[in-house]
Amino acid sequence: MSSKAIQDVVICLKDVNVVYGNLAALYEVNVDIYKGDFLGICGPNGSGKTTLLKTIMGLLKPLTGQVALFGNKVEDKIPKETKFKFGYVPQISDIDRNFPALVKDVVEMGRYAKAGIGKSLTKEDKQKALDALKLVEMDHMLERPIGHLSGGQQQRVLIAQALAAEAEVLLLDEFTSALDFKMTEEVMELLDYLNHTHGITVVTVGHNLGLLRAYCSRIICIDKIIAYDGTPKDPELDVVINQIFH
Amino acid sequence: MSVVSTFVESFKESLLLKTIATIVVLGGLITVVIVFIDNFLIRALGTALIIGVLGGVIGVFVLLKGMVFLGEAIAHSAFAGAALGILLGIDPLITIIAFGLIASMGVGYVNEKKIMKSEVIIGIVFTSFMALAILFIGLMPFYSTDVRSILFGNIFLVSIENLIILFFVAVSVLLIILGIKKELYFIAFNQEMAAIIGIPVRFLNYLFLALMAITIDISLKAVGAILVFAMIITPAAAAYQWTFKLKKMLILGSLFGVASGFLGVAFSYLWDLPSGSTIVGVATLIFIVSFAFSPKRRKSGTGHVVADCDYCSKTILGKQYCLEESCLAKGIPHKHDEKGLLIYKTDLDRKKTPTRHEHDIGGEEK
Ligand SMILES: Nc1ncnc2c1ncn2[C@@H]1O[C@H](COP(=O)(O)OP(=O)(O)OP(=O)(O)O)[C@@H](O)[C@H]1O
Ligand SMILES: [Mg+2]
Repeated sequence: MSSKAIQDVVICLKDVNVVYGNLAALYEVNVDIYKGDFLGICGPNGSGKTTLLKTIMGLLKPLTGQVALFGNKVEDKIPKETKFKFGYVPQISDIDRNFPALVKDVVEMGRYAKAGIGKSLTKEDKQKALDALKLVEMDHMLERPIGHLSGGQQQRVLIAQALAAEAEVLLLDEFTSALDFKMTEEVMELLDYLNHTHGITVVTVGHNLGLLRAYCSRIICIDKIIAYDGTPKDPELDVVINQIFH
Repeated sequence: MSVVSTFVESFKESLLLKTIATIVVLGGLITVVIVFIDNFLIRALGTALIIGVLGGVIGVFVLLKGMVFLGEAIAHSAFAGAALGILLGIDPLITIIAFGLIASMGVGYVNEKKIMKSEVIIGIVFTSFMALAILFIGLMPFYSTDVRSILFGNIFLVSIENLIILFFVAVSVLLIILGIKKELYFIAFNQEMAAIIGIPVRFLNYLFLALMAITIDISLKAVGAILVFAMIITPAAAAYQWTFKLKKMLILGSLFGVASGFLGVAFSYLWDLPSGSTIVGVATLIFIVSFAFSPKRRKSGTGHVVADCDYCSKTILGKQYCLEESCLAKGIPHKHDEKGLLIYKTDLDRKKTPTRHEHDIGGEEK
């Protein structure tokens, strides 16, 4: 990590403070996320993990501090198109069981923004969606209603949607909470594969520290402040974990 | 064989457009006919057609986006607008649209800023506009029959001018809605994901609110403030029972809307009943039938559950119980049909002892 150059920084948070009303959710957060990172974020409930992800994606505006994306200088205004290199898999996927969407529809949504308003998807768009679905090994369920899938399968489809959108950074918020341990490992393996062979930067929030340590190349512990930022092997991590979880 | 299926595919692809186009052309023709043969029954049918299609299409998105109560509030705010128009002696449509837009934008803003729960703000908006309406009616020097007609609606009182305005506004709204339909669909699926992928969620949400308000407002005269929202929610809710595809839902929604309108007009005419009631009555019946026969609702209690089989969805045309290791329904008696659906059947003896597994194509015998 030490040899990473500035241009490899995909996300740079500088002195970021985020508040809800008068509650500080993130305090003076400084994080650089590099291209190709497989980053695990952990911390107690309410420690600001979801807030951190949303701040990165621009869904929340920091009170003070800057968010710079994809090598833009912190001072610059973020160009619109850089925002859309993210793929987001939210914490709770409360998909209505009867929502009228098939697996392929959901993945094709990833191409909607590229197609533009008022235009329908081209053959190429549909092919890209199909390719993404193949990558997550869900192409055999193309015609199934999304609500009929298991939690893990839905997560895969949402990941495929992000891939179809040609996301360079995948942000997953506690996707493991809905999954059994086998499915969790499968999705982690998939993320590992995407990270290694497709160079996709992965930022995943999780409560299962053992799992994060097994797969991630870097771990951040957060408790409104950044309490730890380093490799998963460092014994310092255990000390911090003990502190922030009391 | 493949030629046929390609043809069918391409027809399916544009079925929505074709349906809409047909309906628009029909509507146009009917409008022309009406202008020449000025007959109240034809005018009523033309109105029913337009409102049916428009309500059905808008309703699908209202339903998927979970904005049902907001629509109800807009309808009542529009009533206040109508009352003000009548009081001031100006064309009520102007005040109706103004009030409808104010109410929808206001609620939309509060929702966006997450200032409070949307039910709360909708409840407040809803009742305060009703209070305004009552105030305006109270200020009228004499009781106007126009008030009654706005409240209860009467599709037979729609004038040619009303109908022509209705037609052009409806076509514009429909074109815009169909132009942004995939974006609305994504937003309904997950607003945050849509925003991150680059859909202009904020703008589209407000645009949709405006279109919904306009739809309600222009339908007011025909169906009445109290019932107008049924034309939006009921056909769409009926369509929702039948399909997992957006396109089909849009087509079914508008068909149900038109059917309710036509039959409602017919019953109202034949038996001299209030048209608002007959139209909404038919729509409700369609909904009840759809709900009862919905393929989404077949549960084991009523016979069987429809579900998909993970393992077999593609490779098997099985006939008998499946004991495949990776089959989701392993150990539960079920059957496969050609589509790969599996149907759990309640075992008569409540014994779960499936014995055979047959693979008809591409599978190994177990
Ligand atoms: N919309 C909101 N309005 C007000 N406060 C909020 C809001 N969202 C989060 N918070 C507060 O901000 C803090 C951080 O919340 P956040 O959701 O980021 O935590 P988290 O680390 O993701 O927790 P969890 O592990 O439960 O998902 C919490 O104290 C929470 O109460
Ligand atoms: Mg969270």
